[in-house]
Amino acid sequence: MTEEDEAAFDEFLAARSTALLRTAILVCGASESDAEDMVQNALEKVYRHWPRIRHDNPEAYARRVVVNGAISKARRRKVLREITFAQPPETPVESPDLGLRDVLITELRKLPARMRAVLVLRYWEDLSEAETAALLGCSVGTVKSQAARGLARVRAHMENLEGASA
Amino acid sequence: MNVEEALRDAMAAEVVGVQAPPSLGQAVRRRNRRHVVRFRVAGVAVLAAAAAVAVPVALTAGPGAVPDAGVLAGAGATGSGTPAASASATATGSGDTVAVPGNVVPDMVGKSAAQSDAVLKEAGYTVRVTKVVSDGAPAGTVVGQTPAPGTTAPAGAAVTIIIATAAGPAPSATAGTEGAQDPSMPQDLGDLGDGRTLGGVHVGYLPKGLEWGKWSGKDGFGKRSYTTSWVEPGLEPGMYSVQMVVYRKEAAEQFAKRLQSFAAQGAKPVEIGGRKAYLVSLSDGGERLNDGGTPTIAWTIAPGVGVEVMMSPDYAAKLGKAVADKELNKIAAGATLDK
Repeated sequence: MTEEDEAAFDEFLAARSTALLRTAILVCGASESDAEDMVQNALEKVYRHWPRIRHDNPEAYARRVVVNGAISKARRRKVLREITFAQPPETPVESPDLGLRDVLITELRKLPARMRAVLVLRYWEDLSEAETAALLGCSVGTVKSQAARGLARVRAHMENLEGASA
Repeated sequence: MNVEEALRDAMAAEVVGVQAPPSLGQAVRRRNRRHVVRFRVAGVAVLAAAAAVAVPVALTAGPGAVPDAGVLAGAGATGSGTPAASASATATGSGDTVAVPGNVVPDMVGKSAAQSDAVLKEAGYTVRVTKVVSDGAPAGTVVGQTPAPGTTAPAGAAVTIIIATAAGPAPSATAGTEGAQDPSMPQDLGDLGDGRTLGGVHVGYLPKGLEWGKWSGKDGFGKRSYTTSWVEPGLEPGMYSVQMVVYRKEAAEQFAKRLQSFAAQGAKPVEIGGRKAYLVSLSDGGERLNDGGTPTIAWTIAPGVGVEVMMSPDYAAKLGKAVADKELNKIAAGATLDK
């Protein structure tokens, strides 16, 4: 790795690492420190192959590693939670003064990991359906249907809330 | 407000305060160095005096008796004023796994071996020492450690520090094999012929395309242990694709304890030739089960003879998990005591 490579990697970090961290938190539903660990892990992979990939969209590569890592981590956590609590805590204490945002985030966290990833990539990262499909390694049709179902579930809760407050 | 907008807005609000820390680049590079070192160590660990240093009496409970050990470690660490003093509660906060009381493993990289030994022991860990020939670091300093700094480990757990040494015994012409790739790779067991019999165990099956790594080491994993590796042609010196360790005598006793700890951590045994084997993914130190670690199969092939076969994570990733597991199974099934 040349000094120029190193400098370019630093630039890449400065430009992209916060966005990656934010994406990881949203996809994984994780605490900041977990997400940071995941991002570090992804960036280490990027760093390892940096001279090769730096001219070939390293951001997309890093994002793919982060998102896939976050999905599998979220799945593991779900399994653990279900083992730990015989009944999964799927019925949170709905405090009445939860704002709309909190409700939406709570709802987002309850979605299956992959569906959540689709929503985050489409509406947070503003990726197109095709880009999302490429990143997740699935078809555009899957992205469409996952996004539609995810949104429908979030919408249902949003309407409940609006209905309740009206 | 439509749902897409609302969601976008909620997600933005959720993470608006999150900033990547400025130390990230450093952390990534350190992780990268560890990665490289790890592979070298896995291949070269052989040079090693894996000397387990005694645990302070009150802490011998070890990872198995977690709650008590956690309390003790907390007390010990507070008195010591070491970096580990932050201790105990951290593992519980992550929400990631079942809470395990443990200490934050202090960062010893760059410190001297003696200093690290003292600090880690103060913090309640068992210290293992592995030596590695290092090009960069001054001899006697710590170049790597497992578990990684900043992770948590229960009191009594083994922390392996990897110490740089000056180059080992000069490569001998008697190594005998053309292209014995790395001058620093030991040839403790001499010419192994086809490289398939060591420590009295014969390897009947190897994945296609692997060839002998043309090195072998003795006692790197405790007293009487034997190891060698097989590689895909063209792999860098010091790297391995598949490595095997045969444990006998004292080393076999340590090994048996490690097998028990796998079971205690919830590993399910598989059957290899009528004997119980553990097919697991291990942390760098080979102590803890760890998703995404080093795929390993370990079993006792005969009374007093343990065998452990590790597959490099890179090679395993290339094969895919299912194939990697199957290959490890086949290697284990094909291994026999050499009569």
